[in-house]
Amino acid sequence: MMTRADMVAVALAVAALPFLYHAYWGSNTQGDAVRIFMPGQPPALVSLDRDREVTVKGPLGPSILQIKDGKVRFVSSPCRNKLCIHSGWLSRGGEFAACLPNRISIVVLAQEQRYDAINF
Amino acid sequence: MRALCSALLGLITVAVTGCSHDQDLLHKSQLLAMGTLVDISIWTNNDGLAQRAISAVTQQLDDATHRWHAWRPSTVTELNSKIAAGQPDSVDALTLDLIEKSQRLSIASGSLFNPTIGKLIEVWGFHTDDRPDIPPPTQEQIDTLLSYAPTMADLHFDGNHVTSTNRHVQLDFGGVAKGYAVDLAVDRIRKLGVQNAIVDAGGDLRAIGSHGDRPWRIGIRNPRGPGVIASLEARGDESIFTSGDYERYFMYKGKRYHHIIDPRTGYPSTGASSATVIHTDAATADAAATALIVAGPQKWRAVARSMGLQYVMLVDSKGTVYMTPAMAKRIKFQIDPPPKVIVAQP
Repeated sequence: MMTRADMVAVALAVAALPFLYHAYWGSNTQGDAVRIFMPGQPPALVSLDRDREVTVKGPLGPSILQIKDGKVRFVSSPCRNKLCIHSGWLSRGGEFAACLPNRISIVVLAQEQRYDAINF
Repeated sequence: MRALCSALLGLITVAVTGCSHDQDLLHKSQLLAMGTLVDISIWTNNDGLAQRAISAVTQQLDDATHRWHAWRPSTVTELNSKIAAGQPDSVDALTLDLIEKSQRLSIASGSLFNPTIGKLIEVWGFHTDDRPDIPPPTQEQIDTLLSYAPTMADLHFDGNHVTSTNRHVQLDFGGVAKGYAVDLAVDRIRKLGVQNAIVDAGGDLRAIGSHGDRPWRIGIRNPRGPGVIASLEARGDESIFTSGDYERYFMYKGKRYHHIIDPRTGYPSTGASSATVIHTDAATADAAATALIVAGPQKWRAVARSMGLQYVMLVDSKGTVYMTPAMAKRIKFQIDPPPKVIVAQP
């Protein structure tokens, strides 16, 4: 039997499909969405078209991502060296940042990815 | 109900990642191995083959992590214990091959790539996943470790037995093991029948074949700003490795200390911000990128020459780019204005 919460989740998921499709396959190399990898859960896809903060739980604690003006960055993370935060803003398809100690990574998506891989 | 939600989530994932024809052929996966994020891209119309290849790469890199980890219990840490005790150790054939190859590369680099300075790297605090907030080592600590002068020439082989004439050798294959493991992973997926793939271990990669009817497109990170400094297209089978002073570092009293230690000074290397190498062999590209960033703008040509490198790009701390002529023909700058470029034969 579906609970009210289940129905809301399903409705949101279905409603998100066309939006996610557009977010992922948008037609320019400017990123449209960010894919968030986190431990123990499937990757999440979040659009870059609305300013917001996203909290992602990792083994060390919550990491906070800020989305603003079509860009995304780590603003807070419980790791020691804050390399994820120093990665700064990401906005183009293929750009990514990671907090390895907290096992969270993000990659910006665009339809025609400018690059298949970023060498660094 | 949880199952329904999971199924729905799966459906969304498929819908989001697999809608276009091209993207049906591109299979991507990401895993954590060798202390970094590894991205695997396989271009094939055979879904089963892609999944088998992704599993094979995962297995290979997991194996390498456990075998050659520099500070968690591994074949390498066991060997280091034996070396410190002045005893020989027997190692498996793969580890022996890695050590012998590293020895050749180290000697060719004039020991600027030196995998025996594990003690120096450890004293700088880089033998942890998340470096504790401790000060840099003292000059006295560094001088002591430098006085031991370990090099790969200290290692000797008898069958699968390894001995060291210097007890202060502490092996740390951080500058080559990733490349070596990528080579093994690519060999494995080739044997499975994969012809088009990128195995990207934390930004260092080997690309084979192509992305359908176009080459794989690679961006090279700007060491001193956001985004990409330049791009190039991989041809057929190439490894593209970059060593950068931005990858791992810590701040102490307002000063930045990065993780690539110059074996001559015992301090983080200076002069170059990043070094990029293209080579067919990923292990060679990996070791060469490390040696070149240590060599810096003054000595990179000599290292490129002695290691037989054709494609090299070095970015110095002021943003000036040094390249071999062969590399200059392939690089397209993606920053405006483009950087000052000096093209020179090795």
